[in-house]
Amino acid sequence: MDHLLLLSLSLTSLMQPTSSMNEQFLKKWQMGLQIFRPSIDNTSVSERKRAIKLSADVAMASLRKGTTCWSRALIQKAATQDNFLVRQMLSGIKEETLINKKLPKIVCHRKIVRRSKKILMRRKSKSAMEEVAAKAKKLVKRKTQGLRNIVPGGEFMSNNVLLIQETLDYIVSLQTQVNVMRSIVDAADAGVER
Amino acid sequence: MDLSGRFGARSGDGVPFREAAALESLHIGGGEEFRQMVPPENAGGFTALLELPPTQAVELLHSSSSSASQATTLHSLGTLSFPSNPLLMERASRFSVIATDNQQNGNVSGETTTTSSVPSNEHIKTEPAETETCDQAAVEKQSNRCGKRKELDKKVKSSTKKKNKSSEENEKLPYVHVRARRGQATDSHSLAERARREKINARMKLLQELVPGCDKIQGTALVLDEIINHVQSLQRQVEMLSMRLASVNPRIDFNLDTILASENGSLMDGSFNGATMQLAWPLQVMETEQSYHHRQLQQPPSQQWPFDGLNQPVWGREENQDHGNDHNNLMVGSTSLHPNQVKMEL
Repeated sequence: MDHLLLLSLSLTSLMQPTSSMNEQFLKKWQMGLQIFRPSIDNTSVSERKRAIKLSADVAMASLRKGTTCWSRALIQKAATQDNFLVRQMLSGIKEETLINKKLPKIVCHRKIVRRSKKILMRRKSKSAMEEVAAKAKKLVKRKTQGLRNIVPGGEFMSNNVLLIQETLDYIVSLQTQVNVMRSIVDAADAGVER
Repeated sequence: MDLSGRFGARSGDGVPFREAAALESLHIGGGEEFRQMVPPENAGGFTALLELPPTQAVELLHSSSSSASQATTLHSLGTLSFPSNPLLMERASRFSVIATDNQQNGNVSGETTTTSSVPSNEHIKTEPAETETCDQAAVEKQSNRCGKRKELDKKVKSSTKKKNKSSEENEKLPYVHVRARRGQATDSHSLAERARREKINARMKLLQELVPGCDKIQGTALVLDEIINHVQSLQRQVEMLSMRLASVNPRIDFNLDTILASENGSLMDGSFNGATMQLAWPLQVMETEQSYHHRQLQQPPSQQWPFDGLNQPVWGREENQDHGNDHNNLMVGSTSLHPNQVKMEL
């Protein structure tokens, strides 16, 4: 666990992804696009966009080689959309395990939780400080739930520590993705203008 | 915070350990040497690994930028190993983690000896080997260990500075000795909670550093807000960029690899004005791109890849006069795979 943390720390300390990460991402993404190349003529814009985004996501996730929760969840999500593409892109050993493995979802039935909380709150006597603290905690919980919805695989992360760790790594990887895609778009625009 | 001040002084000691443990991608030659050097470095062995990162991560940056070659890092390690031990011991005592081994009980209390490094060797040696382990399993194991057994030592030794902090657990040990703070509850549950909270706080600090504009914000909820906004904005950017790419003429966007590959080839030659071209077709594209970049000097691209210390050894040849070329820097240093690929395609 600390290996991942320290790896991501080394990246976060730079505040931005490294150039080698950019290159790796680009390579994998190109590989994915090549797979899609044969069928490119008879596709619409939305199809192409889907393929581009999908291959970019899988490329980004495969950089982590299955060490992080979000990467596995992302690959699984992509596999539901286009299993063939994903399998082709992940020609490594991990593909089977990545695609098949699934963790139990953390599901809380909100009504039940709310009801039990109400009952608990009735017994406790509230001081001013307690109320404030309780409200702050509620707020934080709501935000963490929002974060879980955003980060792929957030529902599978059992504790907040893991969630924040994964978010760190996810943000860095997203940054590489955005950087590379933006540079390509700029290059493409430059090419078009000429 | 005082931690950063303290760790800033010892830039060398913790860093090589981090490098050995974390940066597998560096392929540090002589990894064996690293392993041997690591144990004496972590004579304390019980440093709060999670409290260290924010500052050590910065030190990582400094050290990796300063060391052009790996040989020099190894060399500096050797010189630093001895003086770092007493400092590490002091640090360990500050974090008030007491070793499980009896031999170390006396040492951690502030006296600095290097003999205590021996028992911790096995623990520390296995740590670099475990860099590949799945984080989830490790995290769950950790939380189990935390919950199961924490021994409390309520004695207040005169030599200790342990009133300051309680500890993080070292995942190598089966259970962790934690010293309770003065005036704090000492049952195992609250200690476990406190350790967890400190872990979370450490990571939140990292997140704050990562997300721009989060440093000034006080309070977890607002920071989380910012983080969510940032992630959402990044995801939206990806959507937009992929839509733009898709709407561009399909011939161009799928042939971009050849464009970039040709840039690869020409940039690898070290020529910056694109004078030397290997292939005929990308020639025009390359030249146009270069002129485009020169024109872009007035408006630098919004996203610029880092030109920081870590990159300097790699991009060393490229002192580029124009900053607008930043997003071309991606090309340099890549393998020679691309020119071959392009030759095949054309």
